[in-house]
Amino acid sequence: MPGMPGTLSTFGRYAGPATLILSSLAGGAKHGYALSKDIDSFAGVRLAPGTLYEALSRLEALGLIEALPSEDRRRPYQLTAAGATALQEHLQAQRQVADVGLRRLAQGWGR
Amino acid sequence: MAAPEIRAARLVRWYPAGWRLRYGAEFTELLAADLAERPRCWRRTADVAATGLLARLSQAGLGGQRLAGADQARASLAALGGALAVFLTAGTAVWSQLLVGWQWAPPSTRAAAVATVLMTGALLFFLVLAVLAAAPIGWQLARRGFRAGPSRVSAALVVVSLLVLVIGGRHMANGWPGTGGHPWPQRGLVPGGVAAFGWAMTLSVTSYWAHPAALLAFPAAELAWMVVSPVALAGLATGLARLVRRLDLSPRVLRYQARLGRLAAADMAVFLAGAASWVLAGAHGPGALFRPGAIDVAALAAMALALAVGWQALRRTAYR
Repeated sequence: MPGMPGTLSTFGRYAGPATLILSSLAGGAKHGYALSKDIDSFAGVRLAPGTLYEALSRLEALGLIEALPSEDRRRPYQLTAAGATALQEHLQAQRQVADVGLRRLAQGWGR
Repeated sequence: MAAPEIRAARLVRWYPAGWRLRYGAEFTELLAADLAERPRCWRRTADVAATGLLARLSQAGLGGQRLAGADQARASLAALGGALAVFLTAGTAVWSQLLVGWQWAPPSTRAAAVATVLMTGALLFFLVLAVLAAAPIGWQLARRGFRAGPSRVSAALVVVSLLVLVIGGRHMANGWPGTGGHPWPQRGLVPGGVAAFGWAMTLSVTSYWAHPAALLAFPAAELAWMVVSPVALAGLATGLARLVRRLDLSPRVLRYQARLGRLAAADMAVFLAGAASWVLAGAHGPGALFRPGAIDVAALAAMALALAVGWQALRRTAYR
């Protein structure tokens, strides 16, 4: 169901690419090539074309992103409200884990 | 078209038609740009191979992301039907070999006797399941009056394939090795005509393909039948699968078919256990009767694979 908590966790090995795509689209609509470049720039990850489109098709099927009309072959995608909710919940859960990990590192390892 | 675009277009062909229709153009653009930047990259090729396979499995109802609504149940049931067709072709070949032996002499080993009885019972149950599964599909086709184009083509493929198999099978059954003098008075487990028909239908499942010189010594009609019959079997399975995928079966009928599918999977397991008990026992009677060969081991492997594929399809038929 779109936007339900933990939606991205059902993506299995495509959860990582899906998070990167949603994070990129949170900054505005993009087509495949622009997505790939943007993700490379902010995450240092170059998603392979097949992986990118597998994740895109799953996100679209769940209504987390939607395709915009286009006059050329490059079709842009944008985040939906359900996608924004799913991304926010996913990132908050990740932040919680990151916070716990960092706090324990600071307490136990002085870092 | 520039070289990267040509290469990209070639790579995209690996994806199924339905996927290409939706994403093909934009994906080709992205691939072409990637190819222009990195002309040689085995990771990209491997990625396209893996995700293309995943898309194919998804369209076939066997893996990857689920299709929308009833499409998933329809695709998975069609995949189960395909797996069942492969299973029954390999299984009938093994079964008919045992029946030939049984027609000439009582089974020399307990394994052969148990296997033949189990497999015969399982095949009878398959027949019951086939009738139960065909009833709502036939009813829907009859109610529609074969108006829908693609369904009509699929129905025609089923009818033509069946005609070829029945007419050809009955003709070729005359050469059944169980025909002739019968020293054993009880004359087999099942009627000779049924056994002969099963043998004729699966004449192409033979290790003679690995011995072309011996194969060429066969009568021309038999050789032709060994080529035509698998094509007709494939036509029958394809036609049925297309019918299931294209007919607008109600959720209730889809759930009913899925329940029959689970029974079919259990029946496949029983049949496979019977065949395996005979092949693995390895013992045989006088002469070549009841002797399992390499083709039976191959058939066993094909059946096990078909059961695994069918089970995977069944797991994805859930539809509410």
